[in-house]
Amino acid sequence: MTETKEESRIGVFICHCGTNIAGSLSIQEVMDYAKTLDGVVVADEYQYMCSTPGQSKIIDAIKEHNLNGIVVAACSPRLHEPTFRTATQEGGLNKFRFEMANIRDQNSWVHMHDWEGATEKAKDQVLIAVAKARMLEDLQPKSVPVEHSALVLGGGVGGMQAALDLASAGIKTYLIEKAPTVGGRMSQLDKTFPTLDCSQCILTPKMVDVGRHPNIELRTYTEVENVEGYIGNFTITLRKKARGVLDPTEALERGIIGGGCNGCGDCAEVCPVIKPNPFEFGMAPRKAIYIYHPQVMPLQYTVDFDACVKCGLCVEACGEEKRAIDLDMVDTFEKVRVGTCILAIGYDFIPIEQKTEWGYKRFDNVITGLEFERLICASGPTGGKLIRPSDGQIPKKVGFVLCAGSRDNTGGVAKAYCSRFCCMYSLKHAHQIMEKIPGAVPYLFYMDIRSFGKMYEEFYYRIQNEGAKFIRGRVANILEDPTTKNLIVHTEDTLLGRPVAMEMDMVVLAAAIQPKPEAERIRQMFGVSKSQDGWLLEAHPKLNPCGTTTAGIYLAGVCQGPKDIPDTVAQAEGAASAASIPIHTGEVQLEPYFAQCMDEICAGCGMCVPQCPYGALALIDKEGRTVMEVTEAKCKGCGTCGGFCPGGAIKMQHFTSPQICAQIDAFLLKGGEY
Amino acid sequence: MSGDMHQYAFFLGCIAPNRYPGCEAAAIKTSEKVGIELLPLKGASCCPAPGAFGAIDLNVWYALAARNLVLAEEMKMDIALICNGCYKSIWEVNHILKHNDELRDQVNDVLAEVDMQFKGSIDVWHLAELYYDPKICGVDKLAASVTRPLTGTKIGVHYGCHLMKPAKERHFGDTENAMWIDELVEALGAEAVQYRNKMQCCGAGGGVRGYDIVHSLDITNEKLINLEEVGADALTEVCPFCQLQYDRGQIEIQEKFGKTYNLPVLHFNELLGLAQGMTPQELALDLHGIDCKPFLEKIL
Repeated sequence: MTETKEESRIGVFICHCGTNIAGSLSIQEVMDYAKTLDGVVVADEYQYMCSTPGQSKIIDAIKEHNLNGIVVAACSPRLHEPTFRTATQEGGLNKFRFEMANIRDQNSWVHMHDWEGATEKAKDQVLIAVAKARMLEDLQPKSVPVEHSALVLGGGVGGMQAALDLASAGIKTYLIEKAPTVGGRMSQLDKTFPTLDCSQCILTPKMVDVGRHPNIELRTYTEVENVEGYIGNFTITLRKKARGVLDPTEALERGIIGGGCNGCGDCAEVCPVIKPNPFEFGMAPRKAIYIYHPQVMPLQYTVDFDACVKCGLCVEACGEEKRAIDLDMVDTFEKVRVGTCILAIGYDFIPIEQKTEWGYKRFDNVITGLEFERLICASGPTGGKLIRPSDGQIPKKVGFVLCAGSRDNTGGVAKAYCSRFCCMYSLKHAHQIMEKIPGAVPYLFYMDIRSFGKMYEEFYYRIQNEGAKFIRGRVANILEDPTTKNLIVHTEDTLLGRPVAMEMDMVVLAAAIQPKPEAERIRQMFGVSKSQDGWLLEAHPKLNPCGTTTAGIYLAGVCQGPKDIPDTVAQAEGAASAASIPIHTGEVQLEPYFAQCMDEICAGCGMCVPQCPYGALALIDKEGRTVMEVTEAKCKGCGTCGGFCPGGAIKMQHFTSPQICAQIDAFLLKGGEY
Repeated sequence: MSGDMHQYAFFLGCIAPNRYPGCEAAAIKTSEKVGIELLPLKGASCCPAPGAFGAIDLNVWYALAARNLVLAEEMKMDIALICNGCYKSIWEVNHILKHNDELRDQVNDVLAEVDMQFKGSIDVWHLAELYYDPKICGVDKLAASVTRPLTGTKIGVHYGCHLMKPAKERHFGDTENAMWIDELVEALGAEAVQYRNKMQCCGAGGGVRGYDIVHSLDITNEKLINLEEVGADALTEVCPFCQLQYDRGQIEIQEKFGKTYNLPVLHFNELLGLAQGMTPQELALDLHGIDCKPFLEKIL
């Protein structure tokens, strides 16, 4: 055992946490026990240790008893460790002389009905914490400078809002979008609930702004290839996918004065290859050189090299002046250095055809909500005229299947969660068909109508009063009449308590949403956790909804969980605010849990170097010997190298081997000796 | 395993041997021709019926099913069976007990009274699933065993709920628009006709037949209307209880609703028997409620 350098003078403080702790175990007994432990000179208890008087107890005790270690037995260090560290510091100690015993989350909450057992366990927890507190050392946090730039991944409404906020706060912001244009899902929508604003009308100003803002470096048709570094100093490799078309800046770089794409469209005019346009879900054609829709940002064409036959007609049509098209273009890479990142990568719909009971892709007249948006949209494939795919007729009876794959525990592609915006957009769809088609009746097959937002419930009443029909029950299956191609919707009306079958001209499925397939790769590159259902995980659902467990990485929009446009934009502004704090502060403090190489023991074998998941270790020459050196800013204190070192030459600060051994000994020997 | 024969403990169930002995005979005789040997599971009891027993006392259901499983464990063989109700009881109890230690201990406490112990050492298969599985038989091998193809007949397929549901605990892929038994039927040379509401319940299971016969027949009637609409010559299923509901049920529908269909109803085993050259007498088709002659005339 390592000798403690000075005589331990530990203060132990037990928190009642109201009745959270005091209601399940004996505070008095734990306190009396703490007083008997070696090195403890004072033990006290208080109703709420985190309150101002509670913290004052710590500060006063340090001065009064000349303490050199503090133990608080209370809730989780994830909640209040910073609070008590600050109090320790205010009392005049180094803040790392503090140790916390979690007797609430890990004891009283789980052993609520076992008074004796919980009390005994709390004693053990205090014993162990005191053992560590006796071994604690002063540590100095390290500051690292922060790059004055940020990266936003995803150019939907969330990403654009975050980028605009950061840029307006004077931060150079890279906005990365994998599609050829910004706009995301919102640009595929026709109207937005409950105000019935035209989606594109309220989105285009933002698209124009991100294209124009002097602080925004817009990178469309670009993906993130690699992420290195840590908060304040990320180095991100971008893959600029071969677009086949130069913008004016790129043209200038190649010495073509006044050249580059100006969006005239002469190239698409002559292109002989016709492909379905994915922006319109294949309901409209596009050429192999294309733009998604007239309002794209940037207004720059893109070559679909999977479809292009390289006939060169477009190159001719573009002309010698612009010379914007290069059919031999290859992917290029760019490295950018940023201080913080925001992920706003959006969402996908579940493959609703796998819920075969509803016959999507088997029956012509079963479509999804997003396809409905395109069909009802004035700039869509039918010019805003809603027609049945099977025969082009105008539907009069339209069924809407809500919770299509959401709130569904039957496994497969079904999702247990609520997708949150389908109720409202289906109400909006109901309104749109009643408005556009005289005599049309929408039938909404719903489980519950979740109209949770501001003015949403009023919108629901409005649609009811306009004459939409509501049938409460999940649709069991849909059958097609082979001659008319009408659809028979079989469902239960739970209000009548009987099964019903109704014939519809068309059925719209409000399909559930799920994380994007590439979310997994992106999440791992940026070191972000995921929740049970694959959405990116926030640091705390209530108190830190925009941050993640990786410092410097923030989340915005649906990639963190289902939400509608207002919530997405609100979260984007929150994420931008959070991401700008370290940048404006100019430096971040890193917790000093670094690995330390003890040079005198290190044999320079290098076995630790490949073990480090963060690439923080390297071998260096020092005074004629090869030893390992830690780049402290990269080290996350995970302890992999420390556990691996065959010579025990790596010290994990704040979690040293003697400290951990002392804890184990304390528990196994109950304060006794070997 | 003898030669390249796959051996299974054959769980008979109740309805097949008692009401449609042709199903049992056909199972044993047809499977031999495609490399499957069904050995008697001696001492087996009722599976027990999932609707009737499960609705009243789950513990009885677990214990009785576990006892049947132990008999096969003692033979060191997987179970093969020919009834969806049996499949639900035996397969599902096997699955549940394998994944729930606490429940397994409780069931073993009961089984200890008859000196038995459930170990979870075997699997349970529906014979139709073995026919479809290329590792055991497969559609091609089944087609190769046919000596009298059922060419020119239109056959509607009924899958049955206890085989396909609950979807997330089954491994038969698409449960809402399944096609694999249709493929088996097509392998016999027949046309598997698609009809409205193919995946709907027959009306019998879950105790509905016993509890509310009119309601149960109403469901059956709807299926029969849909089958009549597409001009099916026969209906096939893989469950004797569904067979009973469609076959004897037609007589009851005639009595109660005054509607006549006369649609022959044959278990897939019986169809396969016919396709492999077994005679109607060997298949005891004369015991069916609805006369199979119109169908037989098309193929014999």
